[in-house]
Amino acid sequence: MAEFAIETDGLTKVFPGGLRAVDEVSIRVQSGSTFGLLGANGAGKTTFVKMLLSCCEPTSGDAKIFGNNARRPESRRSVGYLPENHRFPTYMTGWDMLDFYGALSGMDGSARKRRIPEVLELVGLDERAHHLRLGKYSKGMLQRVGLAQALMHSPSLLVLDEPSDGVDPVGRKQIRDVLQELERKGVTVFLNSHLLAEVEVFCRDVAIIQKGKLALTGNVQDLTRGSGYRVEVSEVPEALRTEVRGLASGETEGTGTIQWMFGSREAANGAVDRLRAGGCEIESLSRTRSTLEEVFIRTVQPTKSEAGQ
Amino acid sequence: MNATAWTATVALIRDTFREAFARRVFWGFFGAATVILLFLWFISRIDVVQGANASALLMGRNQPSPDVELMVRQTQSFIAMILYYAGMGLAVFASAGLVSAMFEPGRIELLLSKPVSRTHLLLGRYAGNLLVVATNIIYLVGGSWIIFGLKTGVWGAGFLLSSLCTIFVFSVLLSVIVLVGVVWDSAAIAIMVTFALMIAAPILAQEQTIVRLLSSEFSRDVVRVLHFCLPRTSEISDIVKQLIMGQPVRSWEPMWTTGAFGAAVLWLGIREFRRRSY
Repeated sequence: MAEFAIETDGLTKVFPGGLRAVDEVSIRVQSGSTFGLLGANGAGKTTFVKMLLSCCEPTSGDAKIFGNNARRPESRRSVGYLPENHRFPTYMTGWDMLDFYGALSGMDGSARKRRIPEVLELVGLDERAHHLRLGKYSKGMLQRVGLAQALMHSPSLLVLDEPSDGVDPVGRKQIRDVLQELERKGVTVFLNSHLLAEVEVFCRDVAIIQKGKLALTGNVQDLTRGSGYRVEVSEVPEALRTEVRGLASGETEGTGTIQWMFGSREAANGAVDRLRAGGCEIESLSRTRSTLEEVFIRTVQPTKSEAGQ
Repeated sequence: MNATAWTATVALIRDTFREAFARRVFWGFFGAATVILLFLWFISRIDVVQGANASALLMGRNQPSPDVELMVRQTQSFIAMILYYAGMGLAVFASAGLVSAMFEPGRIELLLSKPVSRTHLLLGRYAGNLLVVATNIIYLVGGSWIIFGLKTGVWGAGFLLSSLCTIFVFSVLLSVIVLVGVVWDSAAIAIMVTFALMIAAPILAQEQTIVRLLSSEFSRDVVRVLHFCLPRTSEISDIVKQLIMGQPVRSWEPMWTTGAFGAAVLWLGIREFRRRSY
């Protein structure tokens, strides 16, 4: 298998009228990894995905799927895709739909017959749903059958655009479990989602697109790792507390504990030395972390100078 | 075509049939054709017609009399013309919706994400649509041909051949529907353009008369070019009548110029579909 499931090089889409929806985006998604693509509404995420799957012709640049030119239909044989605003044919039953898209993915009749009950069970759709017309499905059921459709031909790369949109929390957990199981099996998952907490929990790597341009890319652990420290203490004499407060960048008081935040290791060590010398018990000492949401906001929010322009 | 491509083609055709069933398009055509067939069967069983038939076949003659044959051919011609114009109009109405449905946002992206070329997708839908209409035409023409044959002994192949002409003309109009559907994503525009071509055909069929009435050479050339290039559905209806009546076909030219138009339009539709972003 190729080292990268997805490779784009300067991928650009300029729509008639001059709108640069995607501007010179180059990313690499390692085979077997979980990758989240983030961006505000209209940032160019969906256009990027559509170019990857040849729904949309790039103005310039290249895209490869497992080393093959993404424009060639054969390259999509290993891809399962769930679009964001999908409109499945309402005249089909869940079974019919999986049979149809399975056939288009190159599966023969007997393989489809074997696989359909498996994937329907995998996404948690019971037997009644198999023969119910899609027009009667709820939003959550449609999302599940859409995921089943994407999994039908056991793809090596799964591209999901807002997969848990309209799904209740229990369903979301089920979908996450399915995706985690696929990750264990070595399937590359490319997630396009605005649910940052979901991406933070599930994805190993992320990229943030801002106004069509790649604003940030990296490992989730690295990006959310903070540079500060947190010290938690249970009982502190008032004089010592005032002294430590002078070294800290922030202080919060919980039930029976006090937490101080320090901007540097030196400041944290200095505070710990004084607290220990004062006979205080240290409850915990840890590095602070940012959430992915904080990283995202920092990346997409205009700086003061930009905002002033 | 390899097995995978064949599987995809069959799936696309089956999907078109399924959608035609769901939209009641197929059953509408099928029902109308069945009503016509039942009507013919009923007419052939009433005493007056049975008596006329029996007297025409008196004296041990194995062949139907020329009068009966003429009557049958004229009736077949009448059915063929109803099918040719009214049936074609209904088929255009129904097909425009079936073609444009494929380009709906949220549906087309999923189709395009599959390992099937755009040409294959479009031709699969085209073939499915053509088969939906062809099945009904063959059912009606074949059924009435059998009824006429059984009752009168007139088994001329002209009526059967005429159904192929009708299917052929529909295939050309379907190319127009496909092209308009790809370019404008609109069933309404597809219907309007196709009907405009059907209305223009009998007018342009009077090319020689129109040319005589025009004073400018340029205008005359425009009429000649339009007559030659656009579908000549009116003249093909004459071919259909000639085939049924057992008369020699005066000219096959309208068939091949119309076929060339259909092929060119379908090619343009495919080219446009391959370039479009969704």
